[in-house]
Amino acid sequence: MTIPDHADDSATPPDLPVLRSDVAFRLLVDAVQDYAIFLVSVDGRVLSWNLGAQRIKGYSADEIIGKHFSAFYTAEDRDANRPMRVLRKAIEEGRFEDEGWRVRKDGTRFWADVIVTALTDEAGQTFAFAKVTRDLTERLAAEEQRRNLLAEQRGRTAAEEALLARDRFLSIASHELKTPVASLQLAAESVIRARAAGKLDEERLVAGIQRITTSTRRLGVLLNELLDVSRLTADSSPLDAAPVDLVSLVAEIAERFSDGSDRGRIRLAAPDAAVIAGDASRLDQVVTNLVDNALKYSAPPTPVDIEIRQAGSGVEIAVADRGLGLDADSAERIFEAFGRGANAEHIQGLGLGLHIAHQIVLRHGGRIAAEAREDGPGATFSVWLPRDQATAE
Amino acid sequence: MTAHVGSILVVEDDEMLRETLGEVLADEGHEVRGAAHGYEALECLDERGVDLIVLDLMMPRMDAFEFREHQRRRPDAATTRLIVLSAARDIETAAERLEADGWLAKPFSLIDVIELVSDLLPERA
Repeated sequence: MTIPDHADDSATPPDLPVLRSDVAFRLLVDAVQDYAIFLVSVDGRVLSWNLGAQRIKGYSADEIIGKHFSAFYTAEDRDANRPMRVLRKAIEEGRFEDEGWRVRKDGTRFWADVIVTALTDEAGQTFAFAKVTRDLTERLAAEEQRRNLLAEQRGRTAAEEALLARDRFLSIASHELKTPVASLQLAAESVIRARAAGKLDEERLVAGIQRITTSTRRLGVLLNELLDVSRLTADSSPLDAAPVDLVSLVAEIAERFSDGSDRGRIRLAAPDAAVIAGDASRLDQVVTNLVDNALKYSAPPTPVDIEIRQAGSGVEIAVADRGLGLDADSAERIFEAFGRGANAEHIQGLGLGLHIAHQIVLRHGGRIAAEAREDGPGATFSVWLPRDQATAE
Repeated sequence: MTAHVGSILVVEDDEMLRETLGEVLADEGHEVRGAAHGYEALECLDERGVDLIVLDLMMPRMDAFEFREHQRRRPDAATTRLIVLSAARDIETAAERLEADGWLAKPFSLIDVIELVSDLLPERA
């Protein structure tokens, strides 16, 4: 038996023995309400109808038996000849399951799960199809509701995390800012009190002013960090792009850090020059923050190794220390604002240096990453910057 | 006026604040020692007891609560009076939990610290 290419409503439905046999079974099928269970002839005509089919599709048995089953499909599906393709698939595979929109008698749509089984005789010839259709509209709605709830939940978690980050910021910022303010206030008031008591000698005055100056400078640095972050976050205008030699920039920064107990700690391995297009003062900030970070998180006299090399269409700067190191979780979080590593909770500073460096690198079309050293304790921070921002990877 | 002077241990990780506070208190006639963190503070207490501890709430390595536990287990220092310093908003709650005798929110004025310290020290003839 062959399947006609297109739906044909004119021929009379065949009278098949299966329809007359097994009355008890038919009664059972007829009584099922949750599933539309019916037979379809090989040319696509409805041969039987149960209560579930009536309930789901809206047709009574009288109205639909003998009609083509493509009536249950949407106009688009009918145009695409989907009904007959479904039958052909069922013949090829014995059974075909399909999910999609179907149409009720009143024209409304429902989301259906349809299983079409080819019924074959002893010779292996398909003589009809059994169709079982389930209305999944409610399940679809429930799934959508669940998805919406999930999205809502995710949104709420993100909002809660943002609140936590803000609280962490307030706690760190207030500690870091209020401590030098406390020193500043005490130092100033103590000079005044010493003077009132007639105990303000030259030495005392100089020491007091030095304390006031140091605290003020520290506050200035902290405020600049805070303002930098808000500026970088708020301002998305492109950075200046002039030729910058990263080798001389890094050498200059290394020189700046070579005093006191940090003298001789920085070792630089670099080619003669590595020029990229970028904002020199911002890039200075990136390298300064990385070097400052490396020196802060490792103890003298351990070295901090800086390597500059050409890498693909850009230049890579790697800063490696032999300090506290970091775990994988921290490596992810460390570039977030106030996202200090788990082992660095109490190191002084706002924890914004790496975040600022990350923002600047991103603005240059580059990448930044942190990882634990494999050859011993410590961490390596690497920055890749495109030679030309227009050709950034 | 009776002078309320005594020995004080200032536990504060910020070197500048620790030194300034130490100098201010020394000016008032107190005998002041400083410690940068909890462990150093406990060593100081083991060496010699004090009349009063001025303790920063947020410190590296050992926080104020852990320090307080260790301090109270030392027979000679168990009842030593305590002032808590903090920049945190909930300093009052923290001070209560620590059963501190007083607290100062950073930044504080010179006169506040001088008066609070004097109030908490025993009268000396």
